[in-house]
Amino acid sequence: MNENIYTRNMGEEYDTIFRQCVSLNTELHKLVPLAKQMHLLSSNAVSSAARAGSEGDAFRVLTQDIQLLGDDVSNCIDDTQKIIGEIVLLASNLARLFSSYVTFGEVLSHFEDDESMITSPNFFAKGQKKIAGDLRDNNNQLSRSLGMLINLLSPVSTLVKKGEYLAVCSSVEAASSGEYGVSFEAVSSMLRELVSQLGQQSAKQSSLLRDLSEAMEKQQINMRNLLYAR
Amino acid sequence: MRVEQLYKKNTHSWMVMGRDPDRREEVIDTNQYLIQSNGRGLLLDPGGVENFSVVAAEFSKHFDLANVEAIFASHQDPDVISSLSFWIQANPKLLVYVPKIWVSFITHFGVSLENMRPIPDEGGVITVGGRDLEVVPAHYLHSPGNLSIYDPEAKIFFSGDIGAALLPEDHTDLFVTDFAEHANCMEYFHRRWMPSNTAKARWIAEVRRRDVEMLCPQHGAIFKGDDVGRFLSWFENLDVGSGWSNVR
Repeated sequence: MNENIYTRNMGEEYDTIFRQCVSLNTELHKLVPLAKQMHLLSSNAVSSAARAGSEGDAFRVLTQDIQLLGDDVSNCIDDTQKIIGEIVLLASNLARLFSSYVTFGEVLSHFEDDESMITSPNFFAKGQKKIAGDLRDNNNQLSRSLGMLINLLSPVSTLVKKGEYLAVCSSVEAASSGEYGVSFEAVSSMLRELVSQLGQQSAKQSSLLRDLSEAMEKQQINMRNLLYAR
Repeated sequence: MRVEQLYKKNTHSWMVMGRDPDRREEVIDTNQYLIQSNGRGLLLDPGGVENFSVVAAEFSKHFDLANVEAIFASHQDPDVISSLSFWIQANPKLLVYVPKIWVSFITHFGVSLENMRPIPDEGGVITVGGRDLEVVPAHYLHSPGNLSIYDPEAKIFFSGDIGAALLPEDHTDLFVTDFAEHANCMEYFHRRWMPSNTAKARWIAEVRRRDVEMLCPQHGAIFKGDDVGRFLSWFENLDVGSGWSNVR
C-alpha cells in the first residue's frame, strides 16, 4: 500500500471516529432525564414510606437504598457529561488536524522532482511534522479520555443490578403491606422501568464505546503505517 | 496558475499569482500578491484553504517562503485569509496584519493573538525589509473593516475587493485591456458588494492623492496606467449599494 491509501484510510477513519463520538454524546445525554426521574422516584418512595407510618418501616429502609442508587446514578452521569464534551472536541480537532496534515502533504508533493523550488521542502515538512506531533498527542489524549469514560460507565451495570434487586425487594414488601402496598408497588414498578432503560442505554453505550475503541486502534495502526510509508 | 512579476527594482519587487485553471468551478478565482524587499516577504490576501497548496508551491518557485515575515489581510473574508492557520503552522512566528475590528473574528481561523498585529481604523504603516508601505482605510468597501496598501516606491496600490471583476473562465489577461468591456464584469460586483457611496468617495480621494501606476484588486485583472484613472472615474459615478435587485 502506498502513502495515499494510508492517508485516505486515516481521513475516513477520523470522520468515523468523529461521528461515533457525536453519537455517543447523544446517547449519554439521554441519561440525564433518567437521573432526574430516579431522584423523583426516590422522593416518591420516601413520601410513600412516610404516609404508611409504622407499617412503612421496612419499606423506608429500602427507600434509603433507592436514594443512594439515585445519587450514584446522578454522579456517574454528571462525570460522563463532563468528559464527553472533551471527547467530541478532541475528535473534531483530530479531523481538522488531519486535514491540515493532508494539505501539507499536497504542498510537499509539488516539491517532488521540481528543482526550480527556492523554498526548501523542509519549511513545509517541519510544519507537517508539527501537525503529526499534534495528531499523536490528540490521539493519545482521546484514547485516555475514552478509557476514563469506560471506567466511569463501568459501575452502571452494577447499579442496574442493584436497581433490579431493589425493585424485587420493594415488590415483596408491597405484597405484605396491605393498603399501602399499591403505592409501594408503584415505586417498585417505576424503579424496574427506570433501571431497565438505564440497562438498555448502558448496553448501547458499551457497544458504541467498543466500536470507538476499535476505530482508535485501527487509527493507531494507520498512523504507524503512514509514518513507515514516509 | 499564472505567476507574474509586476515590479522589480534592485531588491524590491511585487509578484502576483492568479487564474488557477485547476480550481473547483464553485471557488472564486483570487489574486495573491507577494512583496519582496531586501530578502524579506509580505503576502497580501494569501487566499483560502482551497488554494493554499498551489499558492505555497507556486510562490516557492520564486521566493524562499521561510523569509515571509508577515501576512496582510485586507478584510476577514474566507477567500482572503482562511488559509491563515496553514501559513502559521508552516511558520509559527509569522505576523498577521489585520483590520483591528476583525481580530476576534479572524482568530476563528485558528490563529493566536500573539501572531496578530491589529491595524487601527485610521490605517498606518507596515515595514517590510526596511521599506514602508502605507495602509489606507477602505472601510465599507466592502467590509466594515477594510484596508488597502500603497507602496510609494513601486507606485502600486493593492485595493482588495475594490476593482474586483468576476471574469469569464476563458479570460486570462493579467491586465485590463478593454476598460469598457471590463466594466461589465465589475458592475454587479461593486453595486452588490460595496454598500456606501460616502465611503467610496473618501477612498477615491485617498487614491487620487497618491501617484498610482497600478491598482491591484484581489479578483480579476489589474489596472495599469490610464486605466487606474478610468477605474476611479467609473467607480465615482457608480451608485453602489444598489445591486440587490436591478443588476445581474
